[in-house]
Amino acid sequence: MNGPAVNSRAFRIGFLASLETDDGAFVAGLLVTNRYGRPLEFQCTSPVRPTHAQQLLYGETLRPFLLGELMGRALLDRLGSPPDLLVTDNDHILDLRHHIAIPMARVEPQADDSTGPTTAPPLGRVRMGRRILSIHSAHETDIAALHHGATQVTADADLQEPIERVRQALAETLQGQQSGNPSGTRS
Amino acid sequence: MELAVDRQRTGVQPPRVDARALPLHLDVQLFSSGLGAGITRPPGCHVAAQQLINTPRLLPAWQPNWGPVKSIGVSFPECPVAESPTTDSFGSNLDGAFDVPEPGPQASPHAKSLSRGRARNKTTRISVPTDALSITDRLFYLLQPPIETLLSGQELVMPFEPFPFQYHGIAWLFSQGSALLADEMGLGKTMQAISALRLLMRAGQIRSVLLVCPKPLITNWQRELQMWAEEIPVVAIEGPSARRRMLWEMPNVPVKVANYELLVRDLEMIGEDDFPAFDLLILDEAQRIKNRESRTNQAAHSLKRHRSWALTGTPIENRPSEFVSLLEFLGAVPDHSVTDIRQLNRLANKYVLRRTKDRVLKDLPPRLDREELLELTPAQQTAYVTAEQEGIVRLDELGESITIQHVFELVLRLKQICNYDPLTGQSCKMDRLAAEIEEISDSGGKAILFSQWTKSLDWMNQKLQHFRPLIYHGAVPSSRRDAVLERFRRDPDCPLLLMSYGVGAVGLNLQFAGYVFLYDRWWNPAVEDQAINRAHRIGQQNPVLVTKFICRNTIEERIDKVLQQKRELFQAVLGDSEMSNASLSLDAQDIFGLFELKAGHGDQLRSITPPSIENG
Repeated sequence: MNGPAVNSRAFRIGFLASLETDDGAFVAGLLVTNRYGRPLEFQCTSPVRPTHAQQLLYGETLRPFLLGELMGRALLDRLGSPPDLLVTDNDHILDLRHHIAIPMARVEPQADDSTGPTTAPPLGRVRMGRRILSIHSAHETDIAALHHGATQVTADADLQEPIERVRQALAETLQGQQSGNPSGTRS
Repeated sequence: MELAVDRQRTGVQPPRVDARALPLHLDVQLFSSGLGAGITRPPGCHVAAQQLINTPRLLPAWQPNWGPVKSIGVSFPECPVAESPTTDSFGSNLDGAFDVPEPGPQASPHAKSLSRGRARNKTTRISVPTDALSITDRLFYLLQPPIETLLSGQELVMPFEPFPFQYHGIAWLFSQGSALLADEMGLGKTMQAISALRLLMRAGQIRSVLLVCPKPLITNWQRELQMWAEEIPVVAIEGPSARRRMLWEMPNVPVKVANYELLVRDLEMIGEDDFPAFDLLILDEAQRIKNRESRTNQAAHSLKRHRSWALTGTPIENRPSEFVSLLEFLGAVPDHSVTDIRQLNRLANKYVLRRTKDRVLKDLPPRLDREELLELTPAQQTAYVTAEQEGIVRLDELGESITIQHVFELVLRLKQICNYDPLTGQSCKMDRLAAEIEEISDSGGKAILFSQWTKSLDWMNQKLQHFRPLIYHGAVPSSRRDAVLERFRRDPDCPLLLMSYGVGAVGLNLQFAGYVFLYDRWWNPAVEDQAINRAHRIGQQNPVLVTKFICRNTIEERIDKVLQQKRELFQAVLGDSEMSNASLSLDAQDIFGLFELKAGHGDQLRSITPPSIENG
């Protein structure tokens, strides 16, 4: 039987997202998939709640620090295999790029139309699948990684969808922790 | 100058003042300080470069202690990624530098048609099974991509776009360790099962699958697997025992297909302990294990497996206990459970997925049923009346010793006469059938005819030779059956296929036929529906006209009435009805009820019915 060729190591994309709980805590999750969106690895943090003093001290920089430098980097460190590209839809998380060597991009908030690309994305942005992705303004060299990524994902791939999966998983873990099921937790 | 004053006024001597002169000369020395030159010299200006930091630190040097961030990790099974041989990169809009044609890898024509036909925003997520309790298990399912994403990518090329309800069925099967897919016949249970097992293999969840089906359907499954999962090696268990033993143990063939009879034999030959274990066991036409005491049932139960799926359009053919038997196979209830309708309803909600055509296939052409009430020909009438009177007299004479078999023999005899008179060959059904086939043939249509008896089919074959009918029943060797179906499909000069219920009712795709004739009636409507649905299924382009021949004022009319009443049981178990009656097909009570039987003599006659005998 003539089957398709098999390649077990290919382009990996990391999807990083966060949730804020009602009591002001944050959880972050990182899902690494292959180029078809199939999950390979997932890491998520337990809730981190900044103190009032920390909120005062960090001010506007609290979320970039918390979601990016603190939680995002911790998640990346625990991955078995790092992704080739890290995607988020959160500007605060995008600041993680200052602290890591992996190219990062942000999914533009508006959904692309379903008829395919009829207009070119603006400068500094790249179409990947059905979405437009932008890079951090301080890391212009990441554009090359996006162009490469665009050649790897399928034309109808929706790079926002895995981020929603991460949020759903975060909500699930929060629910599990609230019901006292810490299985699988490690420090 | 020094001045001394004696202030004692009361002393002997008067106060005395002494004066002494001191010199006022001070020595002065002069030094050169250079101050004058400094005042007159212009000030100097020196410039030094200072390296600034790249990123200004907005945070104070002191940082609060956040402590370590705890995390939960889930790793997914390592699985190969199948790349299409035709995969190519697609361009992106490079900063708007150039226009990009249609994006996306070069997909096969099939895959392209797939994405065209699908609403892009429509996604079907895999649900978390209720028995997934640990957070890691739940995350495994939650983090799976939508089924549409998996199936539309280059990994899994499908020949046709699945219907939304099929996507749902695939997702449901994917997440079910125990599942009974009971879709109505013709909704694609085969395709859903294949696609789900394909996804499970890609997800690294299963590596070995055993598919058990009736023998006539082996080739059908092979064909469907080739169509829907061409990359998965499949082997059919067949041949001499030594070869079969080798095939059972053959590695690197993830899907094995076997028929029920061989499974029973080979399980005895190899032994339960040495028989290979499977990650997934699929029973097609799973009503074959309805009898708890049968060897087939026991063989299926004894197989070692992690997941159990049962596929059948008729989980209840006769009575709810058959459904319980399926639930036992799934592990949903303990063996030999006694459950009531309400419990079965609850279990059905958890383990059964059933959809009907009228709910999910709005676009499927309708099935038009008509009952042709025919008058027996004179010769048939004479034969029928004679047989009935003699038969009833004989039954009455049997009195208390009467058994279901005695009545059954009479029923069969009368039904055969309704088909045709064995002495003269007269047949009201044949007369009508010939006229119908003539019209169908002239219009280029195709018809399938079902009968209970191969003898009747052979007789019809002779009578209808001018239509070049094809015949497909148990006496046709398995090796020739596919050729028969293929010829029926291709040859425009063969408008009629004569089939037996036993062989032709299940698993065949004959949706190119627009006419179905039930020459005589089967014992339960579920089997009749299965037969009809060979034609009335996905892919059918035209309405399907179903003609049921019923001879007026005969046993057939009475059977039809009973069957009509029995149809409601199916809904009772799988639906919301409170009905708790026990049988869909004719059981002993029903068969006795076809005649008004009495026992005794003279004025001592009394109606007789059998004890609770079940008609297997």
